[in-house]
Amino acid sequence: MNRVISFPGLVMVLAIGMFLSDPAFAQMDISGQWGPVFDEDRDERAGGPELGEYMGMPINDASRARAELWDSSIQSLPEWQCRPHGVDYITRGPSDPFITAEIDPVTRNIVAYHMEWLRSVDRPVYMDGRPHPGPNEPHTWSGFSTGEWVGDVLRIHTTHIKEDYIRRNGLPRSDRAEVVEYLIRNDDVITWTTITYDPIYLEEPLIRTGEFLWERNQQVPPYPCTVVTEVDRPVGFVPHYFPGENPYALEAAGVYSLPLEATQGGPETMYPEFKQRIRELMPER
Amino acid sequence: MSDRNITWSHLLGGLLLAILLVVPSNALAQRGRGPQGPAQEIAPIDPTGYWVSVVTEGWRHRMVVASKGDYESTAMTPAAEEIADAWDPDADAAAGEECRYYGAGGVMRIPGRLHITWEDENTLRIDTDAGTQTRMLHFDPSVEAPDENAWQGFSRAEWTRAGGGREPGSEPAGRLKVVTDHMNMGYLRRNGVPYSNQTVMTEYLFSFDEPSVAGFPADSWLVLTAFYEDPLYLTRRYMQSTHYKKEPNGAKWNPTPCSAYE
Repeated sequence: MNRVISFPGLVMVLAIGMFLSDPAFAQMDISGQWGPVFDEDRDERAGGPELGEYMGMPINDASRARAELWDSSIQSLPEWQCRPHGVDYITRGPSDPFITAEIDPVTRNIVAYHMEWLRSVDRPVYMDGRPHPGPNEPHTWSGFSTGEWVGDVLRIHTTHIKEDYIRRNGLPRSDRAEVVEYLIRNDDVITWTTITYDPIYLEEPLIRTGEFLWERNQQVPPYPCTVVTEVDRPVGFVPHYFPGENPYALEAAGVYSLPLEATQGGPETMYPEFKQRIRELMPER
Repeated sequence: MSDRNITWSHLLGGLLLAILLVVPSNALAQRGRGPQGPAQEIAPIDPTGYWVSVVTEGWRHRMVVASKGDYESTAMTPAAEEIADAWDPDADAAAGEECRYYGAGGVMRIPGRLHITWEDENTLRIDTDAGTQTRMLHFDPSVEAPDENAWQGFSRAEWTRAGGGREPGSEPAGRLKVVTDHMNMGYLRRNGVPYSNQTVMTEYLFSFDEPSVAGFPADSWLVLTAFYEDPLYLTRRYMQSTHYKKEPNGAKWNPTPCSAYE
């Protein structure tokens, strides 16, 4: 014989059920508006690095040679004006990201995250297990990204990215590179870990980490970019320097009173042993 | 009429079914009712081993001594600026205060190596070769903080656990959370940017193995995010992340004493 449940009994049973069943899956919510925190390297990240400032970058000679040709006024070319930062630099730059989850209306599974950065374009990160495209598929600024959860940390693997830069002073990154990111959320802060693997311009993986603070009042606006003539130039002119002719390529050493060998970067400059090398090069420092 | 009412048997049956269908064991773990036992035994990650700083960020404040007055990327109060403006390494050395940069608030940013081991089943030990310092991270809540402050302060540790995410069968993971106080006044930067003896530092450590990507060999990485709250010398919560790469052994371990100059 069944007894009809009383109201207090119903409340108690529902409370027990809610306590036990939430959350069934423990992925972290990374959606929302986020702002970059500049508690390290503010000058390089916000204002921009000095030309020839490569300390701690695991670059090779080919990278240095390409960077020496860099003329930052190239960014005023019409072809460059609406070009967003590439996937592995934009996490380092001064832009705010806006992340939304695309949810399957039936299963309620997150099938993709969409990351839109200030003055950039939509970057989907597919969470539905789809494979990466074949080698002849198009490359884009944000590439093709798939995500998976490592506990409550989001790991993203990106391929098919266009050639771009790893620092805003012309250090190149090739279209053969792949990028791995870990989004580690601690309370209201994401530590965004980005590892660039570039077999053309890097001798070792480049790992960088930065913090993004949850911004409750921020709203990243749309960016319908318009191309204008910023500088009158002859048709077809591309700002550049020829090898050996860039008068600014070595100025970082003077700005920071560092040995030229240090500012030229290379994997050895990332490790503690390089402190001894600096002592040998600049014993007075 | 009674057929349309909810009955105890209906409700309890439904509840049991719901639990069996949707509650994995790691959901319980995330609510703090995860595996019980010694911290070493239930560790969701293995941070032990030798780790080397990979200095791709903050280079000119970490690999060399920045100029006096170079406070880029800090959040200093006027009182902090007054101290930093008066920074004098000779005076620190003369006063026996060479270890100011090697306290818990600064030492993890110094280029060097960490050796992380289990001191006992509820205490994780971090040795640094820079300054030859030792941090003890206490998981046992019954361990009491000392009366005296020290360079490395007093650290309470806990595992923050997570569920396995959406992928069926994926391994649970987690992080190490460490809260440190009882520190001596020290330096966040080699050039005298201070933190006070009232600072509370909260750290999260996450380690992961990354397979070979784009032809580069597989690596293991440790990412440390530190939050500083200092009512005297910081205008707001200050935060930095630091990363390390795992080394196969201690062949490059190079203990050095504290120095007021480098």
